[in-house]
Amino acid sequence: MRPPTARLESAPSSRPETELALEGLWRVVVLNDPVNLMSYVVLVFRRIFGFDEATARRHMLEVHERGRSVVWTGVREKAEAYAFSLQQWHLTAILEPDEAH
Amino acid sequence: MKRIDVKLNLQVVAPLLDLIKQIADELGDRLAAPQSLADLDTELRGTWKADLVRGQNEDCRRFLGLFDSEFFASGTVGIDEDNAEAILRACAAIRLRLRERELRDFADEVLEGGNVDVGQFAPPLQKAFMTYIFLATVQELIIQHLESALLEG
Repeated sequence: MRPPTARLESAPSSRPETELALEGLWRVVVLNDPVNLMSYVVLVFRRIFGFDEATARRHMLEVHERGRSVVWTGVREKAEAYAFSLQQWHLTAILEPDEAH
Repeated sequence: MKRIDVKLNLQVVAPLLDLIKQIADELGDRLAAPQSLADLDTELRGTWKADLVRGQNEDCRRFLGLFDSEFFASGTVGIDEDNAEAILRACAAIRLRLRERELRDFADEVLEGGNVDVGQFAPPLQKAFMTYIFLATVQELIIQHLESALLEG
């Protein structure tokens, strides 16, 4: 996976708006799908994020019942890495800016 | 290394393998699950997708590799810490594509519940449904027996 860091390294005065938009905090959101097994989703969450069983299960149920769950929030680079890992396991993951910060 | 040897019913599983192979081949250069990252720049999105597709194809190759001459002789496949992740992911990818291609007319709750009278379907649909269930069973076996090893890895 390409490390998405280069675009964050230029001086603030010269950065275009698109680069500035990648700063701040980003959410990794997993969306529901009707195919993947609940036990599989729990395993993937534990494997990727190091969640304990209860936390992984809570996120899985949130995905299942509400259609989505925010599984991680942080800097864009790491959020992209998590989204990539989730997609390697065939979960549908999106990134969205954390408007609260 | 923890390993499970799974004895499969050859008469049930062998007829499903051509559909599994066909679906795996179809995946080829497409992702089983949507990428859904519209705000990535074009170059990154292309690299990202290519890496995912490469991994997906490798996972499917390893999964199909289970069904070798030993499987056709004994009906047994060996799953261990080394191939378990790839097999789990391959099963997920093939199930997603199978759902999209062959089982799209089923409501989500019907597939999730699994309470379906397979006998009422035409043979191609029976085969697709049996394949879908078989792949889920393989995943459940791996999770049940190798979960701790996968989490430690």
